[in-house]
Amino acid sequence: MGKTFKFTLISLIIIIAFLMSSCGQATPQTIKIGVNAPLTGDIPKVGEGSKYAAEMWLEEVNGAGGLEIGGKKYQVELVIEDNESKAESAVAANTKMITQDEVLIIIGPQASKQAVPAGQVANDNSTPMISPWSTNPNTTLDRPWVFRACFLDDFQGPAVANFVTDEFGFTKAAVLYDIASDYPKGLAEFFKSAWEGLHGAGSVVAYESFTTKDTDFSAQLTKIRESGAEFLFTPQYYNEVALIAQQAHQLGFDSPIMGSDSWGSAELVPLCGEDCYGQFFTTHYAAAGATGATKAFIDAYTEKHGYVPDDVAALTWDAFNLAKQAMQDCGTITGDIAADRTCVKDALSKVTGFEGITGTMTFTPGSGDPSKCAVIVKINDKGEFTFYKQSCP
Amino acid sequence: MKSTIDNSSPTPRKGIRRYWSSFRQFFAQTPLLGWLFGLLLASILENLIGYSLARTIGLSKPPVLFGVDIALKTPHLLPSSLLYDLVIYIIPIVLVVRFLTPLANRLAAGLLRSPMWLSALVHMALLYATLYLWTNVNDYRALVSKLMMVSIIITLSLNVVNGYMGEFSCSHPGFIALGAYIASLVTVGLFVGGDFGFILLPKFLAPFVFPVALILGGAVAALGALLVAFPSFRTRGDYLAIISLAFMFIVKSLFENLEPLGGARGFGNQPNLATLPVVFIWTMLSIWIINNFVQSTMGKALNAVRDNELAADAMTVDTRKTKMVTFLFAAFWAGVAGGLFAHVIRYVNPGTFGLQKLAEVLAMVYFGGLNSVIGSIVGAVGYNLLSEMLRPLELLKWIIIPLLLILVMIFRPTGLIAFREFDLRKILQPKVSPKIEEVENVPPAS
Repeated sequence: MGKTFKFTLISLIIIIAFLMSSCGQATPQTIKIGVNAPLTGDIPKVGEGSKYAAEMWLEEVNGAGGLEIGGKKYQVELVIEDNESKAESAVAANTKMITQDEVLIIIGPQASKQAVPAGQVANDNSTPMISPWSTNPNTTLDRPWVFRACFLDDFQGPAVANFVTDEFGFTKAAVLYDIASDYPKGLAEFFKSAWEGLHGAGSVVAYESFTTKDTDFSAQLTKIRESGAEFLFTPQYYNEVALIAQQAHQLGFDSPIMGSDSWGSAELVPLCGEDCYGQFFTTHYAAAGATGATKAFIDAYTEKHGYVPDDVAALTWDAFNLAKQAMQDCGTITGDIAADRTCVKDALSKVTGFEGITGTMTFTPGSGDPSKCAVIVKINDKGEFTFYKQSCP
Repeated sequence: MKSTIDNSSPTPRKGIRRYWSSFRQFFAQTPLLGWLFGLLLASILENLIGYSLARTIGLSKPPVLFGVDIALKTPHLLPSSLLYDLVIYIIPIVLVVRFLTPLANRLAAGLLRSPMWLSALVHMALLYATLYLWTNVNDYRALVSKLMMVSIIITLSLNVVNGYMGEFSCSHPGFIALGAYIASLVTVGLFVGGDFGFILLPKFLAPFVFPVALILGGAVAALGALLVAFPSFRTRGDYLAIISLAFMFIVKSLFENLEPLGGARGFGNQPNLATLPVVFIWTMLSIWIINNFVQSTMGKALNAVRDNELAADAMTVDTRKTKMVTFLFAAFWAGVAGGLFAHVIRYVNPGTFGLQKLAEVLAMVYFGGLNSVIGSIVGAVGYNLLSEMLRPLELLKWIIIPLLLILVMIFRPTGLIAFREFDLRKILQPKVSPKIEEVENVPPAS
């Protein structure tokens, strides 16, 4: 084999590569937004909701000719990374988007076990990040660059306690939660302390736990029934809620069951059936009977993807609009990524009265947590999530 | 020479096979030192002109992992990233290998005459310089490299049990978790504070305390291993697998219920101590020590136990002690790796150390090759790189990687590079003695 052949081959490849690469040049100034979502892994539905909401938002913005900042229109580009619902992949995805893709702001990750470590990366690298769905206080704690679009568990727990006290006048509560999962556990604790603050020590008459993937709750539910509790609070995910509600009714526990925002999934009613009718839960927004921008979002999403968006999608949408608001408040995009990131972060911490589809949000400087209202939803006799009441801080 | 087998038939080969064999012959003469020179030059080149080159050919920045992720996400940039790889990596490496091989052979021969540790140190220094320069371009590369090196330690330590000892242990995520939590407890407790009421030491001491924290983590993991070892080494095979699996779940539940350590919410704010040199040194240390262990008398006894426990017993091998020591030794390194892992991610939660981690670790061991140090390194590096590169494929990634594993299991049932001894001298030695180099285009007469 001749040397000449090798040389021709290599030079041919180089020439072809040059010719082909010259096609994709001269890009106009764009704004890059990173999305860190669990597209595969334990909670793919959450990832799908975030991705769909992000793409819808992108379509709307770019369809209007771009994002207008200080009288100039910029095209927006999304960088979507899969965090596989793993902490290390979320960290890798954030690092990559910050250092390689040079995104201006990151939306995500959704679950706290990814948002906490990913928030550390964003904060260390001075890049603003908004987690739409993470409720763990540590996500934003002492991290000026990290924000969230949802309320925290230490607000939601007391909101449930206040609602039940005002609405039903009960004094004895029971709690059933998953001890191995951080979200239910945290919320159960916040609820318990709020309830005991209202009704005195010992007013939570049953405080029962189980472990993720348990499917038989009869032992705990029997105890709860025997304890004389007037209602049950169970901050669980939709698949467990279905089992808990059905088994509770089979065991003769007919008092109300209260839930939290983790109930708000399109899968809840199909799984749970009539056992969930008439129950209440706190959440970010109510799909049935929504008006204005919320309705527009729900209709557009339902038309495009064939199902009513759950709260993750709605919160992601809000997170994007928060980012948009902050960029517009910023005034100019200089192209110097470090300066722009600082400007967006400063603008985000000053956002007040932002009208999101999940409620009005206000940030106070020094904290990445918005002050916003919780919605109390009643599952009606048709299995729809209807707005019942609002609970504000 | 192994590589000349293809050429041994008298008729000249045609087409691709001929190129392949001459390709292999071309590279077979290059010692490790020559390759390291090539890699070093490539990473120097990337630091100097990588950015401007990427800009000229239409990329916004130098591609992070050889452009695979770019090509998967935006296929029209594939030619540009190929060109980048060609100019920055392939051409310089080929040139160095082509022209510096005689020099590298001579140097390697010279180094071989000096003490072995000096030669190894020179190679390691070159490797570290390359790694440093390569990761200097981008923080993401640094993170991937660190996770990769932690994986090497984990894979090696599991290979000691599953490969060299021939048992099937599933408790590794448990050991990693123990090491991760204990090391984090020490560093967070001493240097960060927060929820823990420990005495705070000045920050500058942290890098010196970190090795102690890691060793402590490893020691606690070994203690945990002792708990598994006592009841389980009366059994073999499937029973050990079940007991060790149970241990993994016990550790996970333990940390889920341990409220002071964050419970299911996880434990964060570890100081940034696992820097690139620290992880590199620990990885090299683990390769060296584990390799020495498996080549020692104990290592040979281990293989005897694996092949036939009764026979080994009859030949005066203390099988019980051998198994115990090995299991504790493997758990120790898993614990150290866990401590490093916690400080790379700077957050741990019990959910990380579940079945998925177990599957990952086992995949790396069986992909790379049983009973082989090089196999473990190849397995860990290969799996991690592949996993990162294919991430843009989302769901398809989880089809491609398992398929690859199935293919490996069909064609090489014990893994890619199984049952091969890691002989440092053989790896570092010159590939041709300096006299008979430069026999261009002559088919070797073997």
